[in-house]
Amino acid sequence: MSGVRAVRISIESACEKQVQEVGLDGTETYLQPLSMSQNLARLAQRIDFSQGSGSEEEEAAGAEGDTQDWAGAGSSADQDDEEGLVKFQPSLWPWDSVRNNLRSALTEMCVLYDVLSIVRDKKFMTLDPVSQDALPPKQNPQTLQLISKKKSLAGAAQILLKGAERLTKSVTENQENKLQRDFNSELLRLRQHWKLRKVGDKILGDLSYRSAGSLFPHHGTFEVIKNTDIDLDKKIPEDYCPLDVQIPSDLEGSAYIKVSIQKQAPDIGDLGTVNLFKRPLPKSKPGSPHWQTKLEAAQNVLLCKEIFAQLSREAVQIKSQIPHIVVKNQIISQPFPSLQLSISLCHSSNDKKSQKSATEKQSPEDHLYVLEHNLHLLIREFHKQTLSSIMMPHPASAPFGHKRMRLSGPQAFDKNEINSLQSSEGLLEKIIKQAKHIFLRSRTAATIDSLASRIEDPQIQAHWSNINDVYESSVKVLITSQGYEQICKSIQLQLNIGVEQIRVVHRDGRVITLSHQEQELQDFLLSQFVMDLRVAVRLWFSFPVTSVKIFQKAMFYKIANGVIFVDHSKKFSGIKWKVETLFIKWNCLCLHLALIFSRNFDLEYLQINYKHKEAITSKDVHLAFETFHFI
Amino acid sequence: MGVTCVSQMPVAEGKSVQQTVELLTRKLEILGAEKQGTFCVDCETYHTAASTLGSQGQAGKLMYVMHNSEYPLSCFALFENGPCLIADTNFDVLMVKLKGFFQSAKASKIETRGTRYQYCDFLVKVGTVTMGPSARGISVEVEYGPCVVASDCWSLLLEFLQSFLGSHTPGAPAVFGNRHDSVYGPADTMVQYMELFNKIRKQQQVPVAGIR
Repeated sequence: MSGVRAVRISIESACEKQVQEVGLDGTETYLQPLSMSQNLARLAQRIDFSQGSGSEEEEAAGAEGDTQDWAGAGSSADQDDEEGLVKFQPSLWPWDSVRNNLRSALTEMCVLYDVLSIVRDKKFMTLDPVSQDALPPKQNPQTLQLISKKKSLAGAAQILLKGAERLTKSVTENQENKLQRDFNSELLRLRQHWKLRKVGDKILGDLSYRSAGSLFPHHGTFEVIKNTDIDLDKKIPEDYCPLDVQIPSDLEGSAYIKVSIQKQAPDIGDLGTVNLFKRPLPKSKPGSPHWQTKLEAAQNVLLCKEIFAQLSREAVQIKSQIPHIVVKNQIISQPFPSLQLSISLCHSSNDKKSQKSATEKQSPEDHLYVLEHNLHLLIREFHKQTLSSIMMPHPASAPFGHKRMRLSGPQAFDKNEINSLQSSEGLLEKIIKQAKHIFLRSRTAATIDSLASRIEDPQIQAHWSNINDVYESSVKVLITSQGYEQICKSIQLQLNIGVEQIRVVHRDGRVITLSHQEQELQDFLLSQFVMDLRVAVRLWFSFPVTSVKIFQKAMFYKIANGVIFVDHSKKFSGIKWKVETLFIKWNCLCLHLALIFSRNFDLEYLQINYKHKEAITSKDVHLAFETFHFI
Repeated sequence: MGVTCVSQMPVAEGKSVQQTVELLTRKLEILGAEKQGTFCVDCETYHTAASTLGSQGQAGKLMYVMHNSEYPLSCFALFENGPCLIADTNFDVLMVKLKGFFQSAKASKIETRGTRYQYCDFLVKVGTVTMGPSARGISVEVEYGPCVVASDCWSLLLEFLQSFLGSHTPGAPAVFGNRHDSVYGPADTMVQYMELFNKIRKQQQVPVAGIR
């Protein structure tokens, strides 16, 4: 601001002299300020010789100094007092303390020097390291950690062990009490598998198939009883169970249905004396309790009884050409004239007596497991049918029975229609049909196999189809000659094996029905062999001849790998060796067959028509076999 | 179920019902028919109960409940000119429950029993109509299995009937007249039987000499 007048500022120093005293008249007497030397003295007094020099160590030194002060309480207090006294008396020579401190420092230094000089000589004084029982300072923290960890872990382990101990104690206590208190939990387990109901104070269960659709009149009730014969003092056996089931006496033991096919009919006197072999009990699952196995076995016995009852009922009621015989526990029927099918219920109880008596075991080879299994399946099928929606009445007021049967009233079905509705076949008929089919199939296979093994050339191949019906199987039979399979493909037969007949479908479309006679099939297949040969022979009718030898009765043509002899007459003498030579050397299939079918090597049955070229030279002769004729 | 014709065979002069039946059956056997068991058709009459009648006092309707052994699981219920119901055999039990509404007429059960003959496609049933203990007449039923339309096969049936009934061949049944081209059903057969039974009921009783 240029217009404002400059202000004068005066500066005065603030260092005023200290007032010593104020006179009565107000004059002040000032203390003379300290001179330079006096100031220095004052500062010297304030030096603390106990402190080290250097700014870094000041704090540490200060702390040490503090600790030293705290540690040596008495001496520091004295020191403080002395210093305080010193401050209060400035008339004392100010350098006194400095001089004293320096002097003591000098003394100390001298002493130190003396000691060091003596020690250096090692005559009168030596330096010995202080024995340290602790680890070198570097490793200390790690070991410390280790030790501390160990200790802490030990402490934790102790706690855990204590807890575990407590738990094991409680568990063992539980175990001991468990067997007594566990009837209810075992009962709960039982209830998960079987139907139980309480009648009065008894617990009864149902092991019949009635709820699954069976109509068998057996009650099938078992009783659940508490097992109280436990002796607490003795050791409790491992498989002890507080619960026991009591099954009806006629369902004890194990049973199965034995289905077997025998070729020869046994004597009438032997009927009903089926030797049962005790089948080893099926191994129960490892974890299942003993009552489960018991109940399952009883249920199986019941099912077998039902199957047998159904079969015997049908055997008696159903009229068939050859009546079925029902004797004791066996049903015998004759599916084929020379064949006997026997179905027997083998029920072996668990008594020790019967175990001893049933030592002689009948070979289980003739038991057809497949049919037994099928019987089980069929009866279950029947059970399911009674429960199916076709049988259950809709609406609920309608009568029971097949759905269409219920309609037959309102729709006025006549007898033919009603008959068509009702299932005509019973269990027995089905099983007999299946048995027939199995037998026929196995016999067909045996026939084909025997032919294949007997006849080496041509070869017969049988391809059985994997997917079969219970009443029908099929096999494809190929008759080929070795080496000529691709060419001679014309003999392919499809055999459909039914219940009583075998239907053969030829490649060219002919359908032939064979009966169950074994011989018929064999003859038919043999005739097919011939067909194959005819085809083969026609193809390979010429052989290049290397040399020719003409004799009176025969002509020998030597070919590449053998000799062919041809004679005009029909009967040969000494034929055997010649023919054998041919057999070994020549693999012409037509002559092989000649050997097979003329077993006596009597070529009366063999007629060979041949032609050969006019010019007989060693290389140009070709023999032609046109046809083979067989009787 | 084929087309059926039910007719009555008048009793031959001077002969009993049984003898006439025998004559017929012999004729059939000579013809070549084979015996195939017996048959039975019966009929019960009910009338609507008085309580259900209106104040107008109309006569109660008659209901016939019939059974036929040819349809063993069925029961037929029909009114005179009304509908025919084909039901289950439980219908009989139902009638018991409906006692309040339908009352059984006295001595009304009438039935015909006889033998069943099969001659190729023809099914011939010759039966004696009895009401109670007395035989009242002869019923002849001929069924031609393959055909279900009445108009198509009536002439064939007629010819066959003529072959063994001779002069007693009936005319076309009334049921045929109603529906020529519709499918023939068991109900129509029962209607024919009902008409036959009614006719026989109205007839006078066969003379005592004839019964023996």
